[in-house]
Amino acid sequence: MPATISIILVAMYPFFKGLQLSFTDYNLLRMKDVQFVGIKNFINILTSDEEFWRVLGFTFIYVFGTVILSYIVGLAIASLMNQNIKGRSIFRALLLIPWVIPSVVAANSWLWVLNDQTGFINISLMKLGLIQKPLLFIAEPAMAKMTVIMMSTWKSFPFMALVLLAGLQNIPKDLYEAAEIDGAGWWHSLIYITMPLLKPVTFVSTILMSIWTFNNFENIYLLTRGGPANVTQVISILTYYTAFFRNKLGYACAISSTMVIFMVIMAQIYMKLLKTSQK
Amino acid sequence: MKRKKLNKFFIYLILVIFVLIINLPLISMVGTSLKAEDEVLSTSNLFPTKISWVNYQTVLGKTPFLTYIKNSLIITISVTIFSTMLAVLAGYALSRFTHKIRVFGLYSRLLIVLQMFPIILLLIPLFIIFKSIGILNTRLPAILIYITITLPFSIWLMTGFFDGIPVELEEAGTIDGCSQFQSFYLLVLPVSSPGVAAIAIFSFIFCWNEYLLASIFLKQDNLRTLPIGLQTFIQQYTSAWGSLMAASTLTIIPTIIFLIFMQKYIIQGLTAGAVKG
Repeated sequence: MPATISIILVAMYPFFKGLQLSFTDYNLLRMKDVQFVGIKNFINILTSDEEFWRVLGFTFIYVFGTVILSYIVGLAIASLMNQNIKGRSIFRALLLIPWVIPSVVAANSWLWVLNDQTGFINISLMKLGLIQKPLLFIAEPAMAKMTVIMMSTWKSFPFMALVLLAGLQNIPKDLYEAAEIDGAGWWHSLIYITMPLLKPVTFVSTILMSIWTFNNFENIYLLTRGGPANVTQVISILTYYTAFFRNKLGYACAISSTMVIFMVIMAQIYMKLLKTSQK
Repeated sequence: MKRKKLNKFFIYLILVIFVLIINLPLISMVGTSLKAEDEVLSTSNLFPTKISWVNYQTVLGKTPFLTYIKNSLIITISVTIFSTMLAVLAGYALSRFTHKIRVFGLYSRLLIVLQMFPIILLLIPLFIIFKSIGILNTRLPAILIYITITLPFSIWLMTGFFDGIPVELEEAGTIDGCSQFQSFYLLVLPVSSPGVAAIAIFSFIFCWNEYLLASIFLKQDNLRTLPIGLQTFIQQYTSAWGSLMAASTLTIIPTIIFLIFMQKYIIQGLTAGAVKG
């Protein structure tokens, strides 16, 4: 099958080539003498590379924040849309827009709205008297961290909302009616009916979302380029910089190989969940 | 009864406000793109006082934007066609012959893992490989990689889709004298057109939007696709927000058209993964 051949050639072979490269000091500036350096790259990363650990730390905060926020927003929107309302497909289309537009367009339009001098948000907030000085959404480190998480949530919550909505529609309506007769309020219905029945969907979608967020490069890169002062760098951006700006391809491969460890764990959990939900 | 009506009103209200907030950057984008040049930076109103098409004229007339559209179309269309064709054939094989050939079960599990692979991990080895073959400055690397990246998801979706079509359909075809390929082509394929539409749209949107790979493999002026082109606009004309917004608006038009007319298929593909498993 041609599909198999292209997958092997373009995905499997490079993967192993990448693993092999991570044991060398391949450098774009001196292509002639590539040396085999054993596990030196990995030892360097794990023991003396402070940058790597700092970046890894923020990567986890970023992934965790994005997934949790988009789950909460997604669930809220899904439960609203699950009511018997007209024009559901119009709302669905409008909510899906962030998910389908290119990251470049998303990042630029956000940069325009968040701009500190002419941005709509800053000027509106100042006019309302809520703030005195414009907020530096991108330039101030703590603020920038929040901005990238918000932006990433914005891009990924539509997926959550639609998947959860599909899950909600599978829950029989009589359950809620029965609960209402028994005197259960909104909160009790959520905790005792919705959450347990949504469990499989919740697990699978959050795992998928974590993997996608972990792998994502464009959302942050196009917004802040990892700045200010590299505080919003995540592993994928660090890899990109190391490879194509510092030209240390071998070392970059070693960094991205450490991503594989995380991926394998997540993939294992995902497969297990898929199996149990199929039964 | 009255309370229920009030409740419903609030649901609509919340949804409408939410949709507006969510789409605020895009509303502002379209608004800005229609402003005249002096109005872009001087007011912060979302909409122009007078609609002006000057930004669109600049983008289409004075910048290589049309080249970017051409590049994007070449790559996106060729990837979509190849990837869809391969995925339909592979998905059919996986769906119908998994019970006979055991390797296929393992193969479809591999596809799920591949779908979650970080692109950045493959980027560096691929760069080195294509550099050594010497086809770095052509469209070929990008097309090959895009096909491969879209394939796992497409095959997987098609397999699920074919699983839902009863085998009796082909058996009936065989009785009526169709060959295996004929019964696939004449009977199964027409029934499965929604699935084919879903994977084609997904491939299209993916290629149309992709940035990371394009930024490495399609760096050259004459090869740039729309996302890369837009990014260069920002670096070159830092203060020309009006034209940038006009270019961005033009870029998302095909995607939005798909979203409006093909919403059913997009949602089908989107939720198939997580809900059905």
